[in-house]
Amino acid sequence: MSSDRDVTRIVRSWLRTDEHESADRVLDTVLVLLDTTPQRRPWWPAWRIANMNIYAKLAAAAAAVLVVAVVGLMFFPRNTGVGGPGATPSIKPSASPLPTPTPAPSAAAVFPAAGSLAPGRQSFTENGIAFSMEVPVGWSSSGIDCPQCATNAGWISKGAETTPGAIWMPIWGVKGVASDPCGHVAAPAAASAKELAAAVAGLPGVDVVTPSEDVTVGGRAAKHVVIRVRNDIGCAAEQFYMWWDTPGDFRWASAVGQTNRVWVLDLNGRRFWIEAETYKGSSQALETEIQGMIDSIQFD
Amino acid sequence: MDTDLVIRAQHGDKGAYALLAAEIADRFLAVARRILHDLDLAEDATQQALLATWQDLPRLRDPARFEAWSYRLLVHACYAEGRKVRRWAPNLRLLSVEEPATDDDLGSVVDRDQLERGFHRLSIEHRSVVVLHHYLDLPLDRVAEILGIPAGTAHSRLHHAMRGLRAALEADSRPPVREAAQ
Repeated sequence: MSSDRDVTRIVRSWLRTDEHESADRVLDTVLVLLDTTPQRRPWWPAWRIANMNIYAKLAAAAAAVLVVAVVGLMFFPRNTGVGGPGATPSIKPSASPLPTPTPAPSAAAVFPAAGSLAPGRQSFTENGIAFSMEVPVGWSSSGIDCPQCATNAGWISKGAETTPGAIWMPIWGVKGVASDPCGHVAAPAAASAKELAAAVAGLPGVDVVTPSEDVTVGGRAAKHVVIRVRNDIGCAAEQFYMWWDTPGDFRWASAVGQTNRVWVLDLNGRRFWIEAETYKGSSQALETEIQGMIDSIQFD
Repeated sequence: MDTDLVIRAQHGDKGAYALLAAEIADRFLAVARRILHDLDLAEDATQQALLATWQDLPRLRDPARFEAWSYRLLVHACYAEGRKVRRWAPNLRLLSVEEPATDDDLGSVVDRDQLERGFHRLSIEHRSVVVLHHYLDLPLDRVAEILGIPAGTAHSRLHHAMRGLRAALEADSRPPVREAAQ
């Protein structure tokens, strides 16, 4: 009788039979086609800060400062949030001291510079909403990663992506979810925070860990929902599109089994969304850490 | 893999991607040919995967994971090509293993034709696991990550695939009279 080891040896030997396989012809075709094949730019940014060396971090930090200025000058005036008019472009000098709407529009998007974050209170803006939050030890910032995005900004994180000790906390507005995550079909924009939280809970391919519930964030009434991406989603995690901020720009899953905690609220006509993503094997300590950060949020 | 090349290509540097593609193209074709067992289909899958890699590179969060990520695109391109030409059975079909061949039998029948017949009987999903694990030497948890399936499913697919290949080898090694008797 042949053993499993025999069969394995035979199969491996057969698979490795040396054949001349040159992809030169294919490569030539591909290189020609590159000129007419645009890259798909991500709404959701690459999470690479943790892998940067110190020089790259410094460069990224410098770039982030520059980006903040560019955002303020070029993009912020076009900022449009769901449920209300865009923020008044406060970079334009005001002739008269008109009352400032609440939340106050910022002169520029605020986000910690790219790199390691000093523990303590950090300031952010999302969708024109200014807020601050206590950040514990061990966190890094992406800096503003998508200056062209209407609701910019970036994310903060700790640990290596998709590992049990990691947390990813995007500071990035969301307007709707996917109706078919693997098919990349968007559901209509949610009309309210309540509707959006319900839509998150109803996302196909996820298990609801905590149904939409009433909570308080920064002293404001908010909705909180927790979901977990199933193992059998039917497509690769990065093909599993979960929610979106502008039509066609989805945020996708990092890994099956990930848990997403979402807090969403409506604030004077603007939508505020914050979430925290953890991965298989994450500990209760991470849960506590996340909740502590959310509890520390203060709206300016 | 040169992570700097990956990062440059992510930012739209076509020259960097050309170097990257040249690095991976032959291996892509080799993997695709083994999964699809057809050179024309394998070339099409390789082309699609290389283009998809270029298109989606900005979405890759961690450049250090480029290799696994790109293999995933390749396997999906193979699935797409495989769907275009359904020449093989869609599901694994196990042969009887009730009358296994002897070592001597096995030694006498190990050749390409028998393995290719056995391989044809496997679904493309099972072939992919075999190729990634036994050709690329990737551990099964990595295979699972590339294929976007749970590790247990990868183990299961490999087990069934190897069982099918073993059965194919042993069935083909039996004398014709015994095969006819079954």
